[in-house]
Amino acid sequence: MPMKGRFPIRRTLEYLQKGDIVFKNRVKIMTVNYNTHGELSEGARKFVFFNLPQIQYKNQWVQVMMFKNMTPSPFLKFYLDDGEQVLVDVEGRDHKHISDHVRKILGKTEEVLQAEAQAKMQESNPANFGPRKYCLRECICEVDGQVPCPGTTALPKEMTGKYRTKMAAAQE
Amino acid sequence: MFQVIGGRSVQAARVLAPRSAVLVEAVRGRKSRTDPVAKSKVGRIKMPPPVDPVEMVVLKERYGEYQMIMRALRLEFKEEMLRKRYEEDTGSLAEERARQEAQEHRVLMDLNHLENQRMLKLRIVRVQMEKEEADRKKFKVILQREQEQQEIVKEKEKEILKLQEDAKNFITLENLDQRIEEALDNPKNYNFAIDKQGKVVKQTMLQ
Repeated sequence: MPMKGRFPIRRTLEYLQKGDIVFKNRVKIMTVNYNTHGELSEGARKFVFFNLPQIQYKNQWVQVMMFKNMTPSPFLKFYLDDGEQVLVDVEGRDHKHISDHVRKILGKTEEVLQAEAQAKMQESNPANFGPRKYCLRECICEVDGQVPCPGTTALPKEMTGKYRTKMAAAQE
Repeated sequence: MFQVIGGRSVQAARVLAPRSAVLVEAVRGRKSRTDPVAKSKVGRIKMPPPVDPVEMVVLKERYGEYQMIMRALRLEFKEEMLRKRYEEDTGSLAEERARQEAQEHRVLMDLNHLENQRMLKLRIVRVQMEKEEADRKKFKVILQREQEQQEIVKEKEKEILKLQEDAKNFITLENLDQRIEEALDNPKNYNFAIDKQGKVVKQTMLQ
């Protein structure tokens, strides 16, 4: 069985990576209170159904909790680092509207995200050779078109040091 | 792998050994302590490679210098990294950035607050309307119920009147004789005939 659930597209990597809400470092907990029935909670329900997987994928260290049928009107609550709580009322609003609003108030802006991506790229220079943990390659012999590793295939005689010294000695 | 040895086996070996060398012996290896030495290695004495003192001095000096330079470079780079990190965390720029962020955060929170207020107003209006709607409905239901009650009362009154009307024609003890006389005098014929077409014929022969 290849597909599970009502909208299995929500489980694809492509869909998850398309999510654009990356929370600021201060946001630690996100709480969604909504109702399972009722016209006013419709936007909140759609938000939870479609946008929450994307958010959790992009913010793996933020705790997200859902509370159902506890209050008459739906809302989102964010708990920040310094104890501040941010309340967002979502009664009767569309899920797209909700996600835009959340991104505006608590998400990292495009420029910040781009700067971070740049910094990460700078740290990992692909031209560096070193341990696998930090660099792409360990030795030039791994690159296509270069001399293969002498540990696996013997170098041609003319390239070995002992032959060269022999030749140099013979010439003198 | 090789260890310096002393003791009785040393004297014999020392005669054959070169003057300035130090005697070494194998410590670990493939064989255990009970295994005998191989035949080809019975009289063998292993010596480390000879060292030229002049060369040693020169090499020591050069290596010392090289290692000092390398260590200095490494420490310098490490210090640069640490300084950068420190600047980022608690530098003047960092404070500016923190202040800027705090301000932006405040602005966004105010925006959010305004949105919430707007939603609150809308919600109050909507709740009010819903309450009014509910009141109106309740009122209508009550009215309807009252109307129904009144209609029932009217029906009942009509029935009572009808009954009163009928009561005039009732047969009581006083009327009894009179009514019997009347009944006997006027015989009523309840018979009727009906044919297949549905025509009713009331006039029949009384027997």
